[in-house]
Amino acid sequence: MENEIHQVIPIQPAPYSRSRQAGEAQTVLDHIVDDFEENPAAMQYFYDLFRQVYCHGDEIPHSGKLVGTTCIQAPEELIYAFGATPVRLCNGSYHYDQRGADFMPAKSCSLVKATLGMLSSDNVIPKIGKPDLVVNPSTCDQKKKSSVMIEGMGYQVYDLEFPNVKESEASRVYWRRSVREFASELRKLTGKRLTRANLKAAMAMTGRAQAAFRALHNFRRQTPSLILGKDAFLVTNAYFFDDISRWTVAVEKLNAELAERQAAGFRAVQSKAPRVVFTGSPPIFPNLKLPLLIEEAGGVVVADETCSANRMLYDMTAVDEWLLNDMVDSLADKYLKPCTCPIFTRNDDRKRRLLDLVDQFKADGVIYQAFSGCQVYEMEYRSVAEEFNKAGIPMLYIETDYSPDDQGQLSTRIEAFLESLKNRKKRRA
Amino acid sequence: MSAKPVLDKVRDVVNEVDFNRFRFWFQLVAFVLFVYGGYLAIDLGSKLPFFSCGYNREGRAGVCYLLPLQHQLGRPLAMLFSMASLAILTGFLTFVLWFIVLNKGWCGFVCPLGTLQDWISALRRRMGIRFSNYTQGQFAQLTKIKFVLLALMILIPLGVGGGIFSRDMSPPFCLICPARMILPMFTGDFSQFTVDFSSKTAIFMTALGISITALFLVGSFVKKRFFCFFCPMSALHYLISKPALLKLKKDGSKCTRCGDCYAVCDMEIKEIADDVKTTDIMTDDCTLCLKCVASCPESGALKATFAGIPIFVSTEAGFIKRMNKGCQHGK
Repeated sequence: MENEIHQVIPIQPAPYSRSRQAGEAQTVLDHIVDDFEENPAAMQYFYDLFRQVYCHGDEIPHSGKLVGTTCIQAPEELIYAFGATPVRLCNGSYHYDQRGADFMPAKSCSLVKATLGMLSSDNVIPKIGKPDLVVNPSTCDQKKKSSVMIEGMGYQVYDLEFPNVKESEASRVYWRRSVREFASELRKLTGKRLTRANLKAAMAMTGRAQAAFRALHNFRRQTPSLILGKDAFLVTNAYFFDDISRWTVAVEKLNAELAERQAAGFRAVQSKAPRVVFTGSPPIFPNLKLPLLIEEAGGVVVADETCSANRMLYDMTAVDEWLLNDMVDSLADKYLKPCTCPIFTRNDDRKRRLLDLVDQFKADGVIYQAFSGCQVYEMEYRSVAEEFNKAGIPMLYIETDYSPDDQGQLSTRIEAFLESLKNRKKRRA
Repeated sequence: MSAKPVLDKVRDVVNEVDFNRFRFWFQLVAFVLFVYGGYLAIDLGSKLPFFSCGYNREGRAGVCYLLPLQHQLGRPLAMLFSMASLAILTGFLTFVLWFIVLNKGWCGFVCPLGTLQDWISALRRRMGIRFSNYTQGQFAQLTKIKFVLLALMILIPLGVGGGIFSRDMSPPFCLICPARMILPMFTGDFSQFTVDFSSKTAIFMTALGISITALFLVGSFVKKRFFCFFCPMSALHYLISKPALLKLKKDGSKCTRCGDCYAVCDMEIKEIADDVKTTDIMTDDCTLCLKCVASCPESGALKATFAGIPIFVSTEAGFIKRMNKGCQHGK
């Protein structure tokens, strides 16, 4: 009897590139690359990178200890200063989203579920290797509660205590202390010391990356646009796992090309294309569903207020005295004070940032994505909508998740919204 | 070539200047001028709105207004309320005229005692010792002291003139001001470093002066611009700052409240980062050193204007140049 079972031919494990997960990435990437005309040549670096990592499942080499972060609040300068490599674990894959559903209640944020799904799977894509430490800042409830689950999966988890009020002096003091404790945790992990020289070098490295991001950001002010939002999102998504110096060089090349495009009077979109500011839950590859729908429908995402792009790279650190203490305190402040995350009690800064982006980037409207189950974004919708109403700026609120099922319905809504923006523009002209 | 691009170019050069270095040299020149200018027979009068100390008899290029003000207020009452006191008014007007030009910029760029504190801070920095901060509660209490000192500086001379206080208390603020002892030392005059034993009051005042000078030296080593926090001149400035020509302006709509300006502020002024409504953002503690403008990454969020014309504006390019020296392009 037993022999019969042993005689069953074992199923050969299929290579990753033929998995459903790789297929998901492949479809989105092909769409990004092939269905749009005149992509910048310098984008090839990023297309190749995503193809290697997400479609072929190639490994990403890194140096030193690997520190996974589940949020932009974990100060990456500190991680670099200790000779470790940070990698952002926030995931955008529908495959992992379904897998992660086991851990969370039915109505939960796709991003959190996908991150848990990714960490719990045997074959983690992007193939970054097992993080030596997962830093989980205590931001929203779903991320907070993930901590123990991630620990249960066999990872070493560090809860980085993050205040949920940011205006008070108490929160500044508390956060500065949290960041110092994080530094001593990293010291334990790496066995290295934090020095003035290595922190300054780390800050110079991220500073250069931020300067490159800001330059890209500024090129997007141009009307008609020089580059599409889907490409910009891909660039900032690559920052999650790419080698920071290589990433910076690639962005600088892209900027050089955009400068040429500007000089040549190039137009990536029609001159009447409605310009959209994107806000809310972060688009992370392969879930670039909304930005792609917007740009397929003839709109263009000119700027964003999300933690997978602008919020992650925009704010820069100023230091008065380049001594260790002042550098660490200034870094801590940068991660708390300008943050427009909806987990905070008040959202005045987010509203002001959005109004400023609409004004500076000459946007015609705003598209607000909330992942169903991401309560904080859902709850802030009302106050943000009121603010835009007052300012006379049209906004479309979309509740969605990683599932591709609602694409048809969403594209109808987005097309209608963009059409109304066009009409409004015509009437005003 | 039209004038506009040239002007824009000049503006870019100014906005992207290595600000700390510029300010260091400006302060050095001002220090030399007001501490040694007297040897070149420079005399800018006795109504100066900063601590060009009158006790530095040989080197001074002008006298701090607080000295003549306290002397004038200390006249016998009969004289104080006579026509002779018109001179007090004209003196005050001259002081206001001086003040209006640079506003509190006199503190941040010219005042020799302020410059001296910056040098002591630089010494500490070079030794690798961090600076100290007040807590929010300490700040809220201590910030009132300068107004108390200003009130005393006016009331005590009136009391002296009215015969309530001894003449040995006059001029009360100068007797306790660290500039009286420290600045003359730069011209080799150490005579102020003495306790006057002629009367009990004199002993008390001069001893208090020496203690405060010692406190000044220790304080400014520990804390950036330690003394400016308590300076009655700073309080007086603030009360008359409305019509000043040099102004610090903030455009709250461009501010992200990132706190970069607060991080570099020697005076720990939180409003500079947190207040997005006030456009005239200079507070009573501000020394108008403009470091906040130099460290603001948001173009146009902070600026210094002179008679309404922007002269130094925060720009992203300027910020990147100053903060990330050499990391803009690969080395």
